[in-house]
Amino acid sequence: MSLETTVPAAPSQQPPKLPPLKALVSRLAGNPLGGVIAALVIIFGASCALSPHFLTTFNMVIIARALAFIGLVTIGQSILMILGELDLSVGAIGGLAGVVGGILMVQLGLNPWLSLGLCLLMGGACGLLNGALITQLRLHSLVLTIGMAGVYGGANLVATKGVAITGVPRDITFLGRGLVMGVPVPFLVLLVCLAIVAFVMLRTPVGRYIYAIGSNPDAARMLGIRVNAIRMGAFALAGFLSALAGILMVARLGTAQPSIGDTWVLGPIAAAVIGGVATTGGIGSPIGAVLGAVIIGIIEDIIVLFGISPYWQSVVSGGIVVLAISFDALARRYLNRDAV
Amino acid sequence: MKTAFAFAAMLTAAPFLAPLAAGQAHAADNSGPLRFVLIPKTVHPWFDKANNGAQAAAAMISQATGRKVEIEYRAPQTADVSSQNDIIERAIATHPDGLILDLLDEKGNRATMDEAVDEKIPMTVFDSLPPEGMDITAVGADFCEQGTMAAERLANLVGKKGEVAIMMGVPTAPNHTLRAECEKKVFAKYPDMKVVATGVDNDSIETAQKQASAIMQAHPDLVGWVECDASGPVGVGQAIRESGKTGKVREVGLDNLNDMIQLIKEGVAESSASSRPEMQGYWAVVSAWQRAMGQKTPKYIDTGIDLLTSKNL
Repeated sequence: MSLETTVPAAPSQQPPKLPPLKALVSRLAGNPLGGVIAALVIIFGASCALSPHFLTTFNMVIIARALAFIGLVTIGQSILMILGELDLSVGAIGGLAGVVGGILMVQLGLNPWLSLGLCLLMGGACGLLNGALITQLRLHSLVLTIGMAGVYGGANLVATKGVAITGVPRDITFLGRGLVMGVPVPFLVLLVCLAIVAFVMLRTPVGRYIYAIGSNPDAARMLGIRVNAIRMGAFALAGFLSALAGILMVARLGTAQPSIGDTWVLGPIAAAVIGGVATTGGIGSPIGAVLGAVIIGIIEDIIVLFGISPYWQSVVSGGIVVLAISFDALARRYLNRDAV
Repeated sequence: MKTAFAFAAMLTAAPFLAPLAAGQAHAADNSGPLRFVLIPKTVHPWFDKANNGAQAAAAMISQATGRKVEIEYRAPQTADVSSQNDIIERAIATHPDGLILDLLDEKGNRATMDEAVDEKIPMTVFDSLPPEGMDITAVGADFCEQGTMAAERLANLVGKKGEVAIMMGVPTAPNHTLRAECEKKVFAKYPDMKVVATGVDNDSIETAQKQASAIMQAHPDLVGWVECDASGPVGVGQAIRESGKTGKVREVGLDNLNDMIQLIKEGVAESSASSRPEMQGYWAVVSAWQRAMGQKTPKYIDTGIDLLTSKNL
C-alpha cells in the first residue's frame, strides 16, 4: 500500500464549502475571463428581460453579423495590445482594402476571388509596413500609426474621390450577406479566425513569446526571442484581419464605400480593454477581447431596441461599458474581502 | 479558458435557441398604436426639424383617427452607411408598422432594405432617392432644382463672372452629388465664371469651415460659394466672417438651420435655397401611415423649396 493512500488528507487542505453564489463568483474570479463573462451574462439576461425583440432569431443574426466585422479587427488589435503596441490605422487599412477590392473587381474586371486574395495580401503588407517602420526606426506605434492612418485613408480618397464603387460582383456578396444554417457567414469567418489565433496564442511557442514580449521586451530579447520579427508579424496579422473585415463589409454592402473602417479604431481597443487586455501589454487574450466586442455589440443593439434618444446614446453606451469594466473589479474585491 | 469556449459556443448557438426561448415578435394588431421608426442620415439639426414635422403628423393622425401613432427617432451617430444599416436592421427586429428612412447611399442600403421587404415592413424615404426597382414613396424637394436655384442666385449676385467654389456634402449621398452636378451645370453656362475649388465637408460644420478657410487662402480672387448640404453653408459662412470677407465673397446657402438664418440676418450669406425639413418629415409619416393602411402611395411627393432672404425672414 502506498503512502499516498494511507495518509488521510489534512482537514486544512480541503477547500472550504462556499454558498452557491459565492462559489460561482469564486469560480469566475479564478478565470481570467470571469469578469467579462459575468458582465456579458448580466447584460444579455437584462436585455432578454427588458425587450421582447432582443432574443429573436432575426436580432441574434443582426448582432452576430455586426460583431463579425468589428470582431476581426479586435482580434488583431488585441494581439498588438498584448505585445504592448497599438495600431490606429487598422480602420484605414480595412477601408483601403475594401475600395481596392472594388477597383480590382469592378473597374479592372479581375476575378473576384483573386481580387479578394490580393486585398488580403495588401492589408497584410500595410500592417507589415507599419511593423517594419516601428521596429526598424524605433518609432512609437501610436504615433506612427496615426500618421499611417492618414496615408492609407488619403490613398482611399485618392482612389475613389470619395465616391462609392458600385457593381460589386454577386459572386462574393454571399460572404457578407449569406447564412449557413442560420448563422451569418461573416460570423463564421470570425469564429474560424478566432479559433486559429486562440490556438496560436495558447498552445504554441509563438503565443508564449508574444506574452513574454508584452511583459518585458528586454528580457524576452535576452532569452533569444526574435522580438522585432514577432512584432512585425503581429502588425501584419492585424492588417490582414482588418483587410478581411473590409472585404467582408464590401460583400455585405454590395458597394465599396470609402467610409468603411471609419468606426473601427476606438471600438476594438475598448472591446479589448473590456475583455481584460491590459494596455500595458502581457495580459489578456483575443477571446476575452472578442467577448468585450460582444458586450459593445449588445449595448449598441439594445440602445436601438429600447428607442433611446440619439442624443443620449453615447452617455448610455459609455455608462454601461464603465459598469461592465467595474463589475470585474467589484467581483474580485468582493471575493478578496471574504478571503481575509 | 474552457468556460470561455463554452460561453463562445453558447453565443454561437443563440440564434438557433432564440425562437424556442422567446418566439418571434408579434406584428402590430389593428387596435394598438401604429409605430413608425424614423432613421435619418445622422444626428443633425436638419433631421431634428424633420422629426418635428414627423411628430406633428403623428399627432394629427392620432387626433383625426383616434388611433395613437408613435414616431421613434433613431439616428446613427456618424454619417456612415454600415452604421445606418445596423440601425435599420435593429429597427426591423422590432417589427414596426413602417420605416421612414433618409438613405445615405441607396446602393449601400439596398441589402438591408431587402431585409425589410422580406419582413413585410413598408418603407418611405425622404430627402433621398430609393434604390432602383423598389416600390417606395420618396418625399423631398427636387434636389437639382434646389442646387440650380442657389447657383443661379449666386451667378446673378456676382454679375455672372469670377471664381466660385462649391462645398460638397457627403460625396456618397445622391442628393448632395445631384445638387453639386446641377450647380456646376449652371456655372458652366457662363463663360466668365469658373469653379476653382470643390471642398468635401461630410455634412460637418467644422470640416466645412476648415476647408472653406483653406480654399479662400488658396484662391484670393474667389467671389462666391454655393453648397450641397445643410452644414456646409454654416461652416462656409463662418469662414467668410472670420476671414473678414463679408460682402466681398458672396454666399447663397442651403436649408434653414438656425445658424444659416442668423448668417443671412447678419449679411454674411445673401440668401438660402431652403428645402422644408418639417414638411418632409410630415409627409413621410402621412405616406408611411397610408402604406401601413394598405393604400397605394405616390412615387414622389415634392415638398418644394423656399428662397430665404433677409426680407422674408
